[in-house]
Amino acid sequence: MGRAIDGFAAPTLVGLVLHNAEHYGNRVALREKDYGIWQEYSWADCARHVAEMALGLAASGFQPGDALLILGDNRPRLYFGILAAQLLRGIPCPMYPDAIPAELAYVARRVNARFALAEDQEQVDKFLSLPEGVESLTCILYDDPRGLAMYDDGRLVACDRLEAIGREHGRQHPGFVAQRAAEVSPDDIAVLLHSSGTTGQPKGVPLTHRQALAAVRNAYAAGYFDQEEDIVAYLPVAWVGDFTFSVAAAAALRFTVHIPERQETVLRDLREIGPTMYFAPPRNWDHMLTHVQVRMEESGRLQRFLFRKFIPLAVRMERDRLAGRRASGPVAAAQRAARWLGEGLIYGPIKDHLGLSRVRHAYTAGEAIGEDTFLFFRALGVNLKQFYGQTENAALTAAQTDDEVKLRTVGRPLPGVEVRISDGGEVLLKAESLFSGYYHNPQATDAAFVDGWFRTGDAGQLDTDGHLIILGRVEDLQTTAAGVRFVPQFIENQLKFSPYVKEACVIGAGKPYLAAIICIDFEAVGHWAEGKGVTYTSYADLSQKAAVYDLIREVVGRVNAQMPKELRIKRFVNLHKEFDPDDGELTRTRKLRRNVINDHYGSVIEALYADAPEVEVAARVVYEDGRVGVIRRCLAIRHVEDAA
Amino acid sequence: MFYRECGVRHTTYAADRALAVIPFERVMLGVLIAAAAAAPWLVPDLFLVSYLTPWLIWTAAILGLNLLMGWAGQIHLGYGAVMAVGAYSAVHLARAGAPFVLAVIGGGLAAAVVGSLFGLPAMRVRGLYLAMSTLALQGIVDWLLVQVPAISGGAQATLLVPRPDFLGLPLATDAARYWTALAFAVLVALFVANVRRTDVGRALIALREKDYAAAVIGINVFYYKALAFFVSSFIGGMSGAVLAFMYYRAVTPEQYGLHVSIMAVAMVIVGGLGSIIGSFLGAGFILLAPIWIEHGLRQLAAALSINISPSTLAHMPLVIYGALITGFLLLEPLGLAKLYDNVRNYLRVWPFGYTKK
Repeated sequence: MGRAIDGFAAPTLVGLVLHNAEHYGNRVALREKDYGIWQEYSWADCARHVAEMALGLAASGFQPGDALLILGDNRPRLYFGILAAQLLRGIPCPMYPDAIPAELAYVARRVNARFALAEDQEQVDKFLSLPEGVESLTCILYDDPRGLAMYDDGRLVACDRLEAIGREHGRQHPGFVAQRAAEVSPDDIAVLLHSSGTTGQPKGVPLTHRQALAAVRNAYAAGYFDQEEDIVAYLPVAWVGDFTFSVAAAAALRFTVHIPERQETVLRDLREIGPTMYFAPPRNWDHMLTHVQVRMEESGRLQRFLFRKFIPLAVRMERDRLAGRRASGPVAAAQRAARWLGEGLIYGPIKDHLGLSRVRHAYTAGEAIGEDTFLFFRALGVNLKQFYGQTENAALTAAQTDDEVKLRTVGRPLPGVEVRISDGGEVLLKAESLFSGYYHNPQATDAAFVDGWFRTGDAGQLDTDGHLIILGRVEDLQTTAAGVRFVPQFIENQLKFSPYVKEACVIGAGKPYLAAIICIDFEAVGHWAEGKGVTYTSYADLSQKAAVYDLIREVVGRVNAQMPKELRIKRFVNLHKEFDPDDGELTRTRKLRRNVINDHYGSVIEALYADAPEVEVAARVVYEDGRVGVIRRCLAIRHVEDAA
Repeated sequence: MFYRECGVRHTTYAADRALAVIPFERVMLGVLIAAAAAAPWLVPDLFLVSYLTPWLIWTAAILGLNLLMGWAGQIHLGYGAVMAVGAYSAVHLARAGAPFVLAVIGGGLAAAVVGSLFGLPAMRVRGLYLAMSTLALQGIVDWLLVQVPAISGGAQATLLVPRPDFLGLPLATDAARYWTALAFAVLVALFVANVRRTDVGRALIALREKDYAAAVIGINVFYYKALAFFVSSFIGGMSGAVLAFMYYRAVTPEQYGLHVSIMAVAMVIVGGLGSIIGSFLGAGFILLAPIWIEHGLRQLAAALSINISPSTLAHMPLVIYGALITGFLLLEPLGLAKLYDNVRNYLRVWPFGYTKK
C-alpha cells in the first residue's frame, strides 16, 4: 500500500490551476447542471475566469491581505472567487449559505472584510442587512443577477461586470496574472474557514497552500483518492472537506468537480453524475438507506421478496469478510454465485438508482456511522470507508484503507500525520497539514496546542493494529448521579440509526437515570402513519400521536436492549419540532449544542425526571429573518417499560 | 433491472434529446439492427420472404397511418386506397422506364396528392363524419381501379411489376428484397421519430388534443391537417409501391381493398396510437399472429392426434385471433406499445415500484 508521490506541479493552489490550464487546458475541470444540461468548464476556462475575476478585483482596489467573504451554495463563480482571492494574496473566507446576518457580521468584523461575493439575491440581502458596525464592506459581488435589477446600492457589482472590468484591466496590465501568480507564497492563507464551534463563537481557522496540499498529498499517498476522479461538490463551501476535495485536491489531482443544479436535486443529479469518489456525512448515508427502504416497502411483492433475501445475505457476507472469516470450498462458490445473481437483480440496480455504481472511493466522516447503514452500503458493493479529520488539519487525519476496514475505527493515521493519545485520553496531532494557529486569536491557539501537539478535543484510543477509535468529544464524557460515565453521542447515534428518529438528545449528567428528547423523522414517520391510517396535520401533531409514541418506545427499547443496565433510557419525550440551527440548537453542521438545548428545554428535562405524564413547553423560535417567536405545546412523556 | 442510467449526463441539448439515451437501449437497438441486417443468414428463406419482408413494409405503412391517426388525431378508413394509388402509380412509372427509387417516390407523390384530397373533408368534419367520408373515398378509388382499364387493366387483371434495381444493382434475390424493405422501414421510422420532436410534431399533437385549442395558441389548423394527410399519404403510397415491388411482385385491385384499410386501422390501434414501436408490434401482430396461430393449432392437433376438420381449422385461428385482440385491448387499451412501455418502466425502476419525483 501507499505510493510514491512526486511533488505537485506547483506549490500553491492557484498555481496548480494555472498549470492545469497550460498542460491540460481541454480537460474538463467543472461541470455544473444549469438550464437542464451539464455546462462544462475546462481548466483553461477556469483559469480565464479566475484571472478575469482577480483582475477585476484588483481594479476595484482589492489589496493583498484583504478578505473576500464568500456566501452561497456551490457555484463555479464562488470557487473562482476563492482562487481569484488567492491569486491576489487575499483571504478567501467562505461562509455557510444558511448563515444568518448576525453570524456574517461577527465574521465580517473579525476579518475586517471589504469585499464580499454572494451567490444570489438571497445572499445579497443578507449582506445589505448587516447590522450597524460593519461599515467596512465596500463591494458586494453577486453571481446570479435574478431579482437584483432594481437594487441601487452602490456597493453591488455583478460578477459579469467584474469580469468585464477585469478584461479591460488585463489589456492595460499585460502580464499581471503571471506576475501575481509568481508572488503567491505557499505560506499564504489559502482559505479562512470557521470551526463549527459546538461551544461558543466560531474560531477562524486559516489554512495555507502548503498545509492544504500536504493534506492532499498525505491522503493521496494513502490511496485515499486517485488522479482525475469525478466528484460532486454539494456540501457547503465553508466546510473544510469541500475546500480540501473540490478545490485543493481537485487542483492538485485534476478532479472533475460536478455541481448539482440545486441543493434539492442533489440525489437526482447524483445519478447523472455517477461520481467515482463520493463523500457524504453519516446522516446522508442514513437518509439514502431510509429512502431505499421506504421505496422498497412501496415496491411489488417480487421485488420485496428478492430484497429481503439478497440484502441480509450480502450483509452477512460482508460482516464475515470484515471479521476476517473466509468461507471455502462449495460454500464460497455458492456465495459467489449468490453475489453474482444479487448484483444483477438487487445490488446493481439499487446502486444505479442511487448513482453509486461508478464509485471507487466512498467516504463518510464527521460522526459515527450506524453499523446497519455502513454494512448495507458495503454489502451493496460500495467501497464505503470512514475517515477522520478536523478543520484545523484540512479534514484529513486518519482513514481506513481498502483492505483494512473495521466497523468501529476510523482507520490508521495518514502517512505524514502523527497521532498520540494524551494521558487524559485526548487525541493529539502533529502534521505538515496542520494549521499554525487560529486567526487573530492567540488565547484559543495557546489553548489548542500542548508541546507542539494539537489538541483535537476528541476522546480516542489506538487499537493494537494502530487504528484510531474515536469515542466522542472529551468534554462530552458525562457522569450520572450514580457515577456512571457515558458518552451521550454514542447512545444518540444508536437511536438515530432508526429511520424514525431524526435527532435525539440523551440527558443524564448528574441525574439518577438517562432520559432522551427525540425529534421524529417527519418523512419516515409520516409515511409510516399513512400506512397505519393515523391522520395528522403537522410535525407537532404527528409527534404527539399515541401510536407514534408506541413506535418510538419500541425504538428506544431496542437500543436499551444493547446497553448495560445502568445506561438504559428510562423516559423520553417526542419534541414538537426538530432541533434547528437557526434556533442555535444545532451547529450548521448539525451537531447538538447541549447547553442551548438544556437552556431551551429546561422544563421538559425537569419533567423527564419527575413523574408527570406530560409537560407544557414554550419554545423560543428564531425565524430566518432574525425575528423571535414563541410556540406553546403540551408534550407527552413516556416511560420505557423494559428499562430496569 | 437492465436499464442502468448512472453516469448518463448530457453536456449538450442535442445529446439530451437524442432518440435513445439509455446505454442499454442503445445496445439493444444496435443488436436489433445488426440482427435484422443479418437475418438472411439467420432465418430460413420462407420465413424471410413470407414473414419478415411484409412485416417491415407494413410497419412503414402503419407508421404513416400512425402519423395521421396517432399524432394528428385524424381517423382514416381509406388507407388501402392511398396505398393502391401509390402502388399503381409506381408500377406504371416503372413500366414506363423510371428507375425503382424514382418510381416509388413518384408513387408516393401521386398518393400524397390523392390522399390530400381525402383530407379535404377533415378541414370541416371530425370523428365519425371523417371516418365516413374517408370510407366513401376508399369506395371511389376501388371502383375507379376496377372500372378504368388504363390503370388496372380491368377487374380480373394482374399487372406484373418490372424487376426493380437500385443504382444499377438488380434487386432480384429474396435477401435483396428483404434488405430493401428493411432500409425502407428504418428510414420511415427515423423520419417519423424525428417528426415527433419538431415543431411540426408538436403542432400535430396539439391538433390531436383539441383543434380549437391548437388554433387558439396560434397553430394553423388547416395547414397542419393538410400537411398530416399529405405526409401520411406520401408514406402510405411509397409503402404500397414497395409492397408491390418487393413482396407481391404484381398488383391487383383487391390487394388494396377495404379490408386492407380496416386491417391498417386495426394495426395502428392494436399497436398503439402515436407510437413507433407500437407500429412495429401492431403490424407484426395483425399480420403474423393468424399465421402462427393456425400453424400452432395444426401442430397441436397433430401432437394430440385429434382430427380437426378443415373448416374448423380455417375458422379457429380467426376466433383465437379475435379473442387475442380483444384480450390485449382489454388488458391495455393503449395497445401493445403501452404493454411494452409498462414492462420497460417496470424494469427501469426495478427494484423500486415507481420513480419518485
